[in-house]
Amino acid sequence: MKLDNIDITILEMLKKDARISFREIARKIDVSPDTISNRFERLKDQGIIVSSTVIINPKKIGYSFIARFGVDVKPAYSSQVLEEIIKIPSVIVASKLVGKYDLISIIVVKNFQHLCDLRDYILEMPYVEKVETSTWINTMELCPYYFLI
Amino acid sequence: MENTNLDEIDITILRALQKNIRTPFKEIANQCNISTDTVKNRYNKLIENKVIKGSTIVVDPKKMGQGNLVIIGIKVVQKFSDSVLNMIKKMTGLCVVTKSIGQYDIEAIFLLEDIEQIGITKDKIEDFPQVKSADVGIFVDKPLLCPKNFEFE
Repeated sequence: MKLDNIDITILEMLKKDARISFREIARKIDVSPDTISNRFERLKDQGIIVSSTVIINPKKIGYSFIARFGVDVKPAYSSQVLEEIIKIPSVIVASKLVGKYDLISIIVVKNFQHLCDLRDYILEMPYVEKVETSTWINTMELCPYYFLI
Repeated sequence: MENTNLDEIDITILRALQKNIRTPFKEIANQCNISTDTVKNRYNKLIENKVIKGSTIVVDPKKMGQGNLVIIGIKVVQKFSDSVLNMIKKMTGLCVVTKSIGQYDIEAIFLLEDIEQIGITKDKIEDFPQVKSADVGIFVDKPLLCPKNFEFE
């Protein structure tokens, strides 16, 4: 998949402000707004743009920190458990991992009680053998254009 | 930080925009049975109250040939977390780095091109004199992202 300058400009401008008008992007690179609109649709169809979203500040709505969960599961059941973990509200990303754990998940947490509840909830899932948590300090921002809050 | 109380309308607006930032305000207005101007005012208020920080697109780095997500858990010599943190902040491919309470003192996520880059990054971190160890975990398959981005309750 080759991206040209128009695609890259669209991506860069939308990363900073996804509500910007196509006309404004068009003006910047001197093409028609229709071109921008077509390219935008194409980038979405090709799965390069996964979604466009508002960035919320979790601290303003009752969430206080991010926790990283490392989960060990019974061999051969990692996909099944992963599907369940991604369904938990406030999970940002969940993935299989090659490393210390079988699965990893990054979750936005309200308080310590919420953290304990989440841990217990995952521990009680079938085939889960071990859950390790770690609490991130002073970090409420993930990579703004891969996974984000 | 002070919490902002959100009502049903605020929540509907946020959820609609989380799913698609380009959702027309008119559509949200119809959904809540209020005027488009009310939606606009509420939206501006959410920005003013800093509940909304901005907007962006989520891209798939694999499709752009950018490779692998890697998490590195780092143990450091006591009292040196800040200096190690600042050194890691300068490294290429970094997505996020944070101090952490748990098994590691610092955790960092990188987006790296290939296995060779992963090795180089790990070596670089272990070369810092204040670093005791660095454990690498590589995200495999396609990481699952919350379809609603951040699904708050």
